[in-house]
Formats: sequence, C-alpha cells, structure tokens
Amino acid sequence: MATLKELKVRISGIKSTQKITKAMKMVSSAKMKRAQDKIIAARPFAYKINKMLNELILNAETGSIDDLLNVREVKTKCVVIVSSDKGLAGSFNTNIIRYSSNYLAKLDPETKIITVGKKATDFFKKKKVRLINSYPGVFNDLTIDISNEIVNYIVESYKKKEFDSVEIIYNEFKSVVKQLTVKEQFLPLTGEEVKDGKNKSTDLKNENTDEKKKAVKTDYIYEPSLIEIIKELIPKQLKVQFWKILLESNAAEQAARLTAMETATKNAQDLLKILEVSYNQARQAAITKEILEIVGGAEALKES
Amino acid sequence: MSFNLEIFTPLKVVFKGSVKSVTIPGTEGSFQVLQNHAPLISNFSVGMIKIETESGLNEYSTGGGVFEVKKNDAVIIAQSVESKADIDLRRAKLSKERAEAVLKDPKATHVQLEDARETLHRAVNRIRIIENK
Repeated sequence: MATLKELKVRISGIKSTQKITKAMKMVSSAKMKRAQDKIIAARPFAYKINKMLNELILNAETGSIDDLLNVREVKTKCVVIVSSDKGLAGSFNTNIIRYSSNYLAKLDPETKIITVGKKATDFFKKKKVRLINSYPGVFNDLTIDISNEIVNYIVESYKKKEFDSVEIIYNEFKSVVKQLTVKEQFLPLTGEEVKDGKNKSTDLKNENTDEKKKAVKTDYIYEPSLIEIIKELIPKQLKVQFWKILLESNAAEQAARLTAMETATKNAQDLLKILEVSYNQARQAAITKEILEIVGGAEALKES
Repeated sequence: MSFNLEIFTPLKVVFKGSVKSVTIPGTEGSFQVLQNHAPLISNFSVGMIKIETESGLNEYSTGGGVFEVKKNDAVIIAQSVESKADIDLRRAKLSKERAEAVLKDPKATHVQLEDARETLHRAVNRIRIIENK
C-alpha cells in the first residue's frame, strides 16, 4: 500500500490537472460559440450568392462561361487538408490524417497537397508527398483575409493548370458531440446548395433545369454583361465556400476539444474518488496503529 | 415611396430595411436606384454606396460586388461593405503602405502587383470616405 505522503502528492497532482482540463473546456466552449456565430453570420451571404449564381448560369445557356466552371480532364488532382493548429482535441486530427492518408494512398503519387493548420502540415512534411503549399497557424486568429489568400492561391494555380481538380478534406461540425470527416469538391465549381448549413451536392448546369427556368426567368438588364457578372460572382462563391469550410473546421475542433476535456475532467474526478478512499483508509490504518502502539506501551508500563 | 434593400457580406448582414434610394458605384459609372426600378443586375467596383432612408443619408465604403434589383427587392452582395463607423482607419493606412511597398518592389510578380493595386485602391477608398466627413 502506498504511503500517506505518496497518496497526497498524487491527489494534489490530479487536482491541478483537473483544474487545467476544466479551464480548457470552458475556453473551448466560448471559442466554439464564437465560431458557430460566424458560421451563422456567413449563411445568408452564402445562400444569396449561390442562388444568384444558379439563376444567372441558367440564364446564360452558353457552353463555356468561365474556366472555373468547366470540367476538364483530370490529370493531376489537388487535395487540401484542413486540420487544427493545436492538439488535445480528441481524435480530431487523428481522424483527418487517417482519412487523408487512406484517400491519398488510392490516388496518383503525383497528387498535389495543400495543408491548412499546423498538425497536418507537420505530419505531411515528413511524408513523401507533393506538398505544394501549407498554411500553419491560421486558426490562432482566423480572419477572412487569410481564407481569401488561400483561395486566391488555389484559383491562380488552377488557372495555370498546375492541377485539374481540387478537393478539400475537413471535419464538419455536426453537433457538439459529433464531427464528421468529409471530402468536398472545390474546383471546378459545382453548385453547393447552402441551406441551413447543410450542403447538398447538385450540379449547377443539369439540375431539373426546366422547372427552375420557369421559376426564375426574369428579363434582367445586365450591367455590363451577364458573363461579366458571373465572372465576378464565381470568385466570391469560392471564397465564401472556403471561408465556411474553415469556420466549420474551427467549430468542429473546439467541439472535439470540449468533449475531450469534459471526459478528462470526469476521469480525473473518478480517479480522485478512488484515491481519496485509499487515502482515508491509509490514514485510518495509521491512526489505529498508533493507538495500538500507545495502548501497548501503557500496558507494558503498568505491568512493570 | 420606398423599397427593400439587403446588404450581405460574408461577415454579416450589414443592412436590411426599407430605403428611398440607393446609389451604387457601378463598373460602368455610378447610378441611383429608386422605387419600381426595372429588374437589373450590375457589377460594381470599389467606391461608396449611398443609402437614403427615412432617417437620412448613410454612406458605406465597399470593395466591389454585385447589385440586384427585382420587384422592389434590392440585394447587394459584396466582399466588404462598411459604414463610416466600422471603417478601421489604422488598418486601411497600414494596407495602403504595404500595397505601396509591393508596387515599388522590382521583384514582385504579376499576380502580386495586381493584388497590391486592388488593395491600394480599396484602402484609398476607405481613407477617402472617412476623411471626407
């Protein structure tokens, strides 16, 4: 049996760990709230721009409007992997890295990779993969400028035909207890119906065209021209799509950390209970032993 | 004598309400929209959006976007729209300096120059709106 002192040290150690996990839990919960608020704030914009772009593309009816819409033969793919900057978030990063590694194993080794967040960057730097760019440390202070910068880089490279399709792997925020690793097509642009945060994959060009045409056909005055407006909207659509992905991932990270820290706090509590019981037992045993010794001693004195 | 206007940016819904008129810095020249305007979709560039409501005239700076009006419902979609109070003058000045530095850099690539020119344009626009009080 451990001595009283050893037990005391362990108990105080676990108590301070518990304090830390509790604090981290509260920080995560505040950060998650903020991330969720940002997602909600971005929703009306995403919805409007998507709706408008859909309408306009239907009205355009011509074959090739913009490079970013045209599906071309895929020779090289590009995969963007979104992880977090910090650890201690349960299986958040493990999931994303496992999913990406499995997916990459199936693809051409020439597949180009862009990582966002320190964890994925560190992991894939050590691997033999074509890491063409990485953005560690974006989540410390997540701003729309950084998000736009990444989109600009991806779009420029896509236009230069460095790759022919772009997919993004990230953790989607389902709920506080559930995060889902998902893969989403980014380029060429397919219409992502953004409604109440649920993404429904639909093809911009082919989806029940007739029905939609009837509903939306309005004779607009276009200033300067329909094509120009679509060209203006496409980068905006991409930017908001990527911004939403970063926000989702950020919210998911905080949620994962929240859950992990809650479990850790609870585990510490359970351990403390067990240790306190043994501490009390040890204390009792020591007292009993001491009394016995005193009584024994007194008895011995009496006899002499 | 009014119609609905909504201004959306990725960060928030900047404005939502009924207005008497709105002036847009269109790419082909600034224009004003009143009630019962014909359906119109237009690009607009860096500049100032003026909104006239019952309570007066409000000015917003914008980095460009798309404007739509249909059946007395107007929508502005832009990367950034800021009211005078929301403009961060210090940040605008900083990005102006940064952009100017890039423009002077002989090693800057074509893309970087293009970016810098746009940034400079937006920053100057913000500063102008603030200082024009």
